[in-house]
Amino acid sequence: MLLIGENLNVMSKKLGDAFLVRDQGPVRKMAEAEAMAGMDMIDVNIGPARKAGPEFMEWIVKTIQEVTDIPLSLDTTNMEAMEAGLKVCKKKALVNSISARPERMAGLMPFAKKYNASFIGLTLGAEGIPRDANERGLFAAEIIAEAAEYGILEEDIWLDPIVLPVNSQQMQVQGCTEFVMMLADLAPNCKSTCGLSNVSNGMPGHLRGIMNRTYLIMIKRYGMYSAIVDAFDSELKAIAKNQRPELEALVHRVMDGESIAPALLSGEEGEYVKTAKVLLGQTLYSDSWLEI
Amino acid sequence: MGFEIPKIKYTGKIQEITIGTGQKAVRVGGATCYPFYRFEGEMPNPARIAFEVWDHRPDDWQEWAIEPYRDVIHDPAAWARKSIDVYGAEMIALQLKSADPNGMDRPVDDVVRVVQDVVHAIDVPLIIWGTANDDKDADLLRKIAEVCEGKNVAIGPVSEKNYKQIGAMAIGYGQVVMASTPIDVNLAKQLNILLGNLGVPDEKVLMDPTTGGLGYGLEYTYSVIERDRMAALTQEDVKLQRPVVCNLAHEVWKTREARLTGKDDEKLGDEIKRSILMESITAMSLAFAGADIVIMRHPESVKLVKEMIGELMG
Repeated sequence: MLLIGENLNVMSKKLGDAFLVRDQGPVRKMAEAEAMAGMDMIDVNIGPARKAGPEFMEWIVKTIQEVTDIPLSLDTTNMEAMEAGLKVCKKKALVNSISARPERMAGLMPFAKKYNASFIGLTLGAEGIPRDANERGLFAAEIIAEAAEYGILEEDIWLDPIVLPVNSQQMQVQGCTEFVMMLADLAPNCKSTCGLSNVSNGMPGHLRGIMNRTYLIMIKRYGMYSAIVDAFDSELKAIAKNQRPELEALVHRVMDGESIAPALLSGEEGEYVKTAKVLLGQTLYSDSWLEI
Repeated sequence: MGFEIPKIKYTGKIQEITIGTGQKAVRVGGATCYPFYRFEGEMPNPARIAFEVWDHRPDDWQEWAIEPYRDVIHDPAAWARKSIDVYGAEMIALQLKSADPNGMDRPVDDVVRVVQDVVHAIDVPLIIWGTANDDKDADLLRKIAEVCEGKNVAIGPVSEKNYKQIGAMAIGYGQVVMASTPIDVNLAKQLNILLGNLGVPDEKVLMDPTTGGLGYGLEYTYSVIERDRMAALTQEDVKLQRPVVCNLAHEVWKTREARLTGKDDEKLGDEIKRSILMESITAMSLAFAGADIVIMRHPESVKLVKEMIGELMG
């Protein structure tokens, strides 16, 4: 599974400040650290970048490319900034992201074509977050059809099922998982990705890792091609790179409906079983799910 | 082969909880089926009604809500007695309105004295409802747990912010706590887990799902209670197997629709009848969802709801 590091992010206080004063130091450091951590791509999240967006995106892409040649995923809602970034990317870039909203598709697909970039097709329409797997499918179909109009190859479309936080939308997580299961039939030539960490959004910080990793195992089983992840979760990386087959097998057993008593397992294995049950909707979520 | 009515498969049971002591003690919970589904399981205890009494003379009540209590409304203990003696209250819910830091902000000691007056004046179970201000309640409800020793009262709302302070005192003095969460099944479960970890016994926890009145969020409360009960009874979620208490009176009576008179808007009809119906419908809907205790204001609304519950349990 291909991994995209999420940590170069305007939401980070330290980086946000560095962004503001165009301090290259922290940006380089983070890019280097993500490269060291073995990320296959780096997501460059500059947010809405309302002020000086294009100039800023160009600066940050150049700064990163001074220290690493890892391909970049450009993450901004500012379309002009997106183009400015694409212009200076040395490797094939990933546009993060284009939803099924008409203005997003019309605004960004021409750039993807012009600069030979891939793009993340966010299964989200004008009415907002999809309610189930079928709505996701509809948005995906719209995106694929529209991209064809621009002559974009299907292999350059990375469909994103929209991962939702399990602590507040436990049932909706099933819709996301179901959609991932459908992807191979629905869009066999497209790639896929997702914002994995969103599954644990809003949860206590020390518990996010196990939730992210367990969900990664689940969607990996159904063929998820890549994920945008915490670059510094080395265990998560090990799972993505097929180095934890025993953990994957264990979670698969839970997914297949086998009843496994966590008490009979080692601490770590027990945690994976409990977490999988939460993600499958078998145990109602609470922050203390690992303790009961 | 004859026709068989499909039945829901229940795997859980709501914890049975006693509030108060002696002959007038009230038991709630114990159900092994959805509310009033007595053709599918046991519902040993009917939903109960607590009459609300304020700890200080209310200054914004409708005349027709004051009327039944006019002679006692300045005296919480006498008010509680009248609710029992004249209107047949089986439980009293003392609302500590005057302690609210956003209102009168009466000092803790003064409010505790009112609680003592009331608890000593009555022999029915007492619910004591704080200000919902985490800090003030942490202080106030701790002291109340202490002065009500031996009375097995229910104190709350207890939140994730103050459950340690209040929970510890409730354990020490053998009181019931009301675990309060903002219309969210996951948070409700979490708070019950935390109270359990603290050492509060299962038979000493009621859940307050946060209550909205008719037209003001009733449906959200209804849905979350429904969800609690589904998890508790059909998904073996032991942490949600607690009886539910709904503090609804104030939510209904403060609304515009419960205040406007027929003179303000003819289409709205008679205000007394209207507000009493709004309160009864809210209470009855919550009982249908699974509320085990509803806190109500007007004797006429109580009468209506009591009749309906009686018929359903008959």
